[in-house]
Amino acid sequence: MIPTGTRRLRFEDEALPHVDFLYSFALRLTAEPAFAEDLVQETMLKAYRAWHQFRPGSNVKAWLATILRNTFINERRKQWRHDDHLNVDAAEGYSVLSDAQEVDPEGQFFDQMVGEEVVRAIHKLPEEYREALVLSDMQGLPYAVIARETGTPLGTVKSRIFRARQALQRELSGYAAALGYEKARQLASAAA
Amino acid sequence: MTEGPHEIDCREALDRLYEYLDAELTPELAQEVADHLAKCAPCLAVSKFETAYLRFLEARTRAQGAPDDLKKRILERLLFDKDAPGGS
Repeated sequence: MIPTGTRRLRFEDEALPHVDFLYSFALRLTAEPAFAEDLVQETMLKAYRAWHQFRPGSNVKAWLATILRNTFINERRKQWRHDDHLNVDAAEGYSVLSDAQEVDPEGQFFDQMVGEEVVRAIHKLPEEYREALVLSDMQGLPYAVIARETGTPLGTVKSRIFRARQALQRELSGYAAALGYEKARQLASAAA
Repeated sequence: MTEGPHEIDCREALDRLYEYLDAELTPELAQEVADHLAKCAPCLAVSKFETAYLRFLEARTRAQGAPDDLKKRILERLLFDKDAPGGS
């Protein structure tokens, strides 16, 4: 039997360098930094416990990614069963926050929204839309790269990004009303 | 057919707005959108608002590498893990 210390060192050498990759993969699946961290930790622990099953010379990165994906699917089954998804099909043009836009053309109320609310809203997007949005707006990738990475036609990628952004605006309009929009409206009426 | 620059209408401009803001259009198409925005106040307002929205999305969601202490926390968990096979 391999001594525990040696075993851990080998795991550290081979698996630990992939933590950054796993984190960005987890972020792409969850769009939530805290959840992504938990997933990576869970994945590494599972991988460590199953390290004896890993065949030396095969692809560590792919093996870890598979564990992470399975962990994610199990977690989501537990947590998200009752989550309602945002409707990305509602046909609307730009600036669905048009009321807010009228009193706040520079969109300043956005400054007052906190990350958590946005993350929660992103969370509610259907998975393929969330993926497109995360790759585009979180990771700043060009459409063509997203298409290649996800094996999706360019036109589909575009439409998913656009619809995801619009659906998110609709979802955030509740916060907008509670925050900047009201404030902007008050300012506007006070100035009048 | 008329030669010279093609003028686009509000619908076309707004159809291409996200691609314009994402810098995904060819220089020619981007110029057409820019020309339209320069002389159409309502479309310019939409464009400003969407610009603010995208900047906000980016700022609130910008991806970082794994947090510095994540590896440390993982190592600590491995070090004290009792369930690993082959453990003492």
